[in-house]
Amino acid sequence: MIKFQDVSFHYKNTDAFGKQQKTRGVDGLTLTVKKGEFVVLAGDSGCGKTTVTRLINGLVPHYYEGELSGTVSVCGMDVQSSGIGDLAPHVGSVFQNPRSQFFNVDTTSELAFASENLCTPPDEIRKNIRRIVQEMYMEPLMDRSIFALSGGEKQKVACASVAVAEPEIMVLDEPSSNLDAAGIEELAKVLALWKAKGKTVVVAEHRLYYLTALADRLLLLRDGKLAEEIPGDQIRRMDNAQAGERGLRSFTPIAMPETETVSAEDVLVCEDLEFHYKHSENGIHIPYLCIPRGKITAIVGKNGAGKSTFARVLCGLERKSRGSVRFEGREWKPKMRPSLCYMIMQDVNHQLFTDSVLEEVMLSMPESVSKQEREPLARKVLEQLDLSYLSDIHPMALSGGQKQRVAIAGGVVAKNPVLLFDEPTSGLDLRHMRQVADLLRQLRDTGKTVIVITHDPELVQEIADRVIAFC
Amino acid sequence: MQFFQYGNEGYKSILDPRTKLLLLVVINVVIIGTGFTGTDFLLRIVCAAIPLVLFVIIRRYRTALLYGLVCLVMFFGEAVLIPCTTGTINLLIVITLGPFSRILVGYAFAYYMMCSTTVSEFVTALKQMRVPDQISIPLSVMFRFFPTLAEESHAIRDAMRLRGIRLTGKNGGLLKQIEYEVVPLMMSTLRIGDELSAASLTKGLNPGKPRTHICRVKMELWDWALVALSLGFLIYMLVLR
Repeated sequence: MIKFQDVSFHYKNTDAFGKQQKTRGVDGLTLTVKKGEFVVLAGDSGCGKTTVTRLINGLVPHYYEGELSGTVSVCGMDVQSSGIGDLAPHVGSVFQNPRSQFFNVDTTSELAFASENLCTPPDEIRKNIRRIVQEMYMEPLMDRSIFALSGGEKQKVACASVAVAEPEIMVLDEPSSNLDAAGIEELAKVLALWKAKGKTVVVAEHRLYYLTALADRLLLLRDGKLAEEIPGDQIRRMDNAQAGERGLRSFTPIAMPETETVSAEDVLVCEDLEFHYKHSENGIHIPYLCIPRGKITAIVGKNGAGKSTFARVLCGLERKSRGSVRFEGREWKPKMRPSLCYMIMQDVNHQLFTDSVLEEVMLSMPESVSKQEREPLARKVLEQLDLSYLSDIHPMALSGGQKQRVAIAGGVVAKNPVLLFDEPTSGLDLRHMRQVADLLRQLRDTGKTVIVITHDPELVQEIADRVIAFC
Repeated sequence: MQFFQYGNEGYKSILDPRTKLLLLVVINVVIIGTGFTGTDFLLRIVCAAIPLVLFVIIRRYRTALLYGLVCLVMFFGEAVLIPCTTGTINLLIVITLGPFSRILVGYAFAYYMMCSTTVSEFVTALKQMRVPDQISIPLSVMFRFFPTLAEESHAIRDAMRLRGIRLTGKNGGLLKQIEYEVVPLMMSTLRIGDELSAASLTKGLNPGKPRTHICRVKMELWDWALVALSLGFLIYMLVLR
């Protein structure tokens, strides 16, 4: 069904310093996937697994340009000589970001979209949609605005919209990155359905526990090469230590660690915190919550439990909240809270504004810092966070992890005693997750109070001094 | 910010989008081009009544009531007050009511069109009018992008507030404010646009190639009746008058 013969691909792009460069996608890769097989691609970020999925659906080399050598054949077609359009009827693709994979604004049109492009007669499309909707139990999601759906629902619609045209091959590129535990469970059900129907499924993924039961084979990639091929039976027998040796995330589900009680010494206390959104039933009411000072506290709970709302209230983004927040012996009114708590957002792209890393850090400094002190102080913080060599670069040219560190540097110079991280490890492999964990510990050891909102049990296990579950 | 409807939860429009487009043009021509006597006045009343009836049909009773009341005041003002006043008062009424009454009906109809048409109906109708892909595809992407832009700019503004970037104060200034908002917004829109193109291509979108539509858009009896009425109005406006 899918055959890679000594395939190498290099992307053409520019690096952070503006120089033309070639980035390796895959390097001398040979692999075959049989009809009806369920294959998981795993490995560090940048190991080439996304490139493999793009070679199957034709985005490489037809959309993302670069140098391709070797032959890739999918359903008997040579990918190099046939276009993305020729592959479209045979390969369905689900992507990582639920915000950017819908062409239409309502769910029903999106489900029909791929079939419409193939010129399938309308009555047949409607019949197929009805069948898929039944199979996937998604009647309540029909005829809705895409923008009113949750992340998990969007990913379900993305899967359904691919399934309606009934391609033989399904490729998924990190489909679970933006999902909570319940969303991942739904996704696993869809994948099981596809497997049962005899589809060929290729999933590139960091989070592996939900794929263990389904995988026929796991291909471990390293530096664009095939490092190891593990049969499904063997994966199901492997423990987490064996996964860790290979730089992989856990093969088995990890329960969120239990909440510990905390001795009330130095704490951030929230009392009777209440906030409700206008025209919506969503909101929070927290009678009493204390967060230990100088420790790492993880806040967990499913989507919609109010974690983000709590974060917005604590950072003073929702001014109309009621209740009190006390820290270091004083009361922080909503207006003052931006200088209490600094949030590093899930999408750090939103919080980088200036044209160099150095300026970005200086922008966050409080007014009390004098002109002469500003630059040396900023450089010192950049040094601490291993960013000095990037200080003149435009923040938008950095990699995801580097951007996150720049945002953290902003929080450190702002002298906010509390740093709040919203999903800092979504879509990260084991190595990068551990890097973030180290960074959080480093911040704690310099005396910051760190709060982490996360769906990532492995991160919680690694770092949390205390876990608070929202429900 | 949202033009047209994004979902149609159990609701079906009784008019074809093409009829709505034609009516929008004709209603504006009639309202802007007629006076307050004889047949002209009759035509005005009919045109003003069309959005009223349509609002009732799509169950927007409050909108209908409000629109009806404002219309009554307008007509009363233009037909009764203007002829029987003189001098400054007359001038004041003409200046305030005149332009407003000429925009109101067309505006109300455009509003009706937005609330009773889904994006897919509108795009399908464009296709049936043989509007080329080069226009209809960018249009549908545009509709899709409005909410995305709103979401992104909301997140960016939050981030600015977190860092204390305000119109006044240390990092203040309108220009700075605009720069800080627009640069990340452009970056994230570009990224989303790029990923969106990739996703659409893998679903076989190929401009210029024929494609089918599951959205049902068809001219019914009502549509033809309204088209006939519109044509009648146009003939009166352009030829008979």
